[in-house]
Amino acid sequence: MLERNIPSNPDICAKLMQSLVDALEDFGWAEREIFGIRMAMEEAIINAIRHGNRCSTDKMVLVQMSVNGDDFIGTVTDEGDGFDPEKVPDPTDEENLERCSGRGLALIDNFADEMQYNATGNSLTIRKRK
Amino acid sequence: MDQYECIETDTVEDVSVVKFVDERMMDAARIEQLGSELMDAISGDDNDRVVINFENVSFFSSAAVSKLLVAEKRIRSQGGQLRLSNLRPEVRDVFSLTKLDSVFRIEDEQTTAIKTLQ
Repeated sequence: MLERNIPSNPDICAKLMQSLVDALEDFGWAEREIFGIRMAMEEAIINAIRHGNRCSTDKMVLVQMSVNGDDFIGTVTDEGDGFDPEKVPDPTDEENLERCSGRGLALIDNFADEMQYNATGNSLTIRKRK
Repeated sequence: MDQYECIETDTVEDVSVVKFVDERMMDAARIEQLGSELMDAISGDDNDRVVINFENVSFFSSAAVSKLLVAEKRIRSQGGQLRLSNLRPEVRDVFSLTKLDSVFRIEDEQTTAIKTLQ
């Protein structure tokens, strides 16, 4: 289990993702699977920093990741008020296609096997099976 | 801005070709810089036909995609056309899963992309 409580700084996310990639490679995950997991986790962390903690420097993001040769589970929890993911506009709708943001959740949903928010909407768990 | 850190620019058969320097588009500050350099590189009357070649890119986040969308709108507003080429399958997934392959025209190879702009 890799667990980090990181400040709301997107640059730190990149370093954490490298640790994740190293762990996935050690367990023999394929390049395309690693891409998907990294994409889902990075988008989740960036969402937590920007939308959850609103980039507030005194708020943290808790990142928990568990990986082995068969499964990956990652949980990202911010200190924000949470939100209702059902109310996020679908970025693949015609009228939203050219919007410059709002694709993070769609990418997580597509690259992960499962994604689940807690009831508050400030903690997201992502699962991927090899 | 003549010297770029995040992109390399070239002209092939009168078409502007942009390549990314970074293999992984992850760092937030770097993505911001990429956006600025991209906008600078595509501005001007000589840049109405542009190919962005992804051959060096193994990871492309949604934040980086947003920079491409801004660039595409700028090129279109100048009456120009943009093509993307040489995307790895997983990077192409980022565009297809979000239906952005209907906004960007994607070609397998740079040479094909240039031909479609002749």
